Amino acid sequence: MATSSTSRRKLLNFKHSLAASEARLAWWLILPTVLIVFGLVLFPAFFSIWISFHDVGLKNLNDVFHAPWVGLDNYRLVFNDFAFKFESLQNWGAAVTTVVYSVLSTIFVLLIGLLAALLLNRKFIGRGIARGIFLFPYIAPVVSVAFVWRWLLDPRPSGVLNHILISLGLLENARAFLATRGLAIWLVILFQAWRYFPFAMLMLLARLQAIDEALYEAASVDGASIWQKFLFITLPELRYVMGAIFLLRLLWTFNKFDDIWLLTGGGYGTNVLPVLTFQFSFGSFDFGKGSATAMIQLVALILFLAIYASTVMRQSGE
Amino acid sequence: MAERTLVKRSFLDQLALHLSWNRLLFALGFFIFIAMILFPFYWMVSSSFKSGAEIAGRAPVYFPSSLQLDAYRELFDPASPHFQNFSKNILNSILISVPTALLAVILSTMGSYAIARLTFKGRGFMLNSILIVYLFPGILLIIPLFALLSQLGNSLGFQVQDNLNVLMLTYLAQTLPVALYMLTNYFHTIPVEIEEAALIDGCSRLQVIWRVTLPLAIPALVTVGIYTFMIAWNEFLYAFVFLNDRSMFTMPIKLNTIFNDPSPRPNVVMAASTIMTLPVIVLFLAFERFLTQGLTAGGVKG
Repeated sequence: MATSSTSRRKLLNFKHSLAASEARLAWWLILPTVLIVFGLVLFPAFFSIWISFHDVGLKNLNDVFHAPWVGLDNYRLVFNDFAFKFESLQNWGAAVTTVVYSVLSTIFVLLIGLLAALLLNRKFIGRGIARGIFLFPYIAPVVSVAFVWRWLLDPRPSGVLNHILISLGLLENARAFLATRGLAIWLVILFQAWRYFPFAMLMLLARLQAIDEALYEAASVDGASIWQKFLFITLPELRYVMGAIFLLRLLWTFNKFDDIWLLTGGGYGTNVLPVLTFQFSFGSFDFGKGSATAMIQLVALILFLAIYASTVMRQSGE
Repeated sequence: MAERTLVKRSFLDQLALHLSWNRLLFALGFFIFIAMILFPFYWMVSSSFKSGAEIAGRAPVYFPSSLQLDAYRELFDPASPHFQNFSKNILNSILISVPTALLAVILSTMGSYAIARLTFKGRGFMLNSILIVYLFPGILLIIPLFALLSQLGNSLGFQVQDNLNVLMLTYLAQTLPVALYMLTNYFHTIPVEIEEAALIDGCSRLQVIWRVTLPLAIPALVTVGIYTFMIAWNEFLYAFVFLNDRSMFTMPIKLNTIFNDPSPRPNVVMAASTIMTLPVIVLFLAFERFLTQGLTAGGVKG
């Protein structure tokens, strides 16, 4: 009796020490990642809140922790900045432009991605190669493709788009497309669609290939047309993936800096919040104001996610 | 005679069958997609082989008459009047993306194994807070990072600007969460029983990881390595802020500098773009099957 209880305790102890040593090993394994991610992402993120309430510029960058407290001044400056707030229909301001830009780009990415996925879902010779080529815009470095497009849209008559439009008689004189207010924002949206549709395509294609063929066969027996099959079988099957793509791309586009900076530098009605943050911080070296802009952007994003989670996700859960 | 028309008719029928509206529409759509995707790439490569005169002409040259190496000479030939010393920039890019990829693979393998296989307190919290990184805009982090690292550099006596190691550290912070997420998913697909069998046979945990799990995870490790390499290779914003000295520039920043030169030379920009894009495309095509799986599984931020 006594021996069995001691041996059980021994076994328990052994199990306990095994679990403890496993936990210790786990912590050692994950420690470097945690240090890097917490030290270089989470801590700076909190520090950014601090900066947004202080006056930080080039003069005191080397002594940030003693920067003077300015309360909500930075936020006030940003909200009253003509580059931030909505002025008129000709001059949207970065806040409105960011929303329009990210929502429209995401919708275009989704639609073109769906079209491409439907094309590649058919069986034809060379489909594998075609899928590889369709992914080129997504994997190529953003700097190179942005500069190629800038050159295709070159304002001189020798620019490819200018040359084509003039030859077709659609345009009399060469135009600076990316430097035309009203047009430039559409061009950066189209660039986004061109560059990121492969991401949507790939996710949709994976889902399309998982749809049960029997559903289509049954519909054919019932005499459904191709369009009806698409509407009543394909689309409902794709609904959740499309929701996921929409959310992911919207977040990423909302936070994206490179594409617009490289295409227009944020000029001609294409200024978005990340570019504005950059201009405040590294153009006029007002890091407090820049941080405040970035914080406004982050809060907007979190609010959107909270609303999305409480409405859309709850609906789809029911 | 009658026989002949019959044959002809059936051939036409076959042709009509072959060219149904459906197929025509498909072919048309496919052609438009391929043209829209490939034309910019064709333009990039072909323009890099044009001479200065062809670039500055009144009409665009769609088919260069001969392969002119002017642009490449400017990038690599010290005798060229606008010599860019581009090989230094290529070297910088390699020096930063290869270590980033290797370190990301090693560190994320360790971390994701712990999350996928070992039980410890705070595991869920850890994974969630690492995934939150998806939310933060890069531009939000760059200001505090810049301030923080300048402060740190001042007191510890290292340069923050033009320091490739500092830049590499920020790339690691950006890529580790994605790598961790992808590898954790992959480790979940490896049956636990295999590892348990090895444990019962008397292997220690570390031996199991080294001898059993890692060999099984090689496709995922390759995928993560190539992704992190591509992210570091293509990165623009952080390099733009952290690098000032021309000799320290990575390729994207150098490209930006050449593009914004007061006397525009698009053929040189396109030559540099071609050099930067080629390795990415080749790597992608070589490992396409792994990479597309990884893309759908991990949703690489970009």
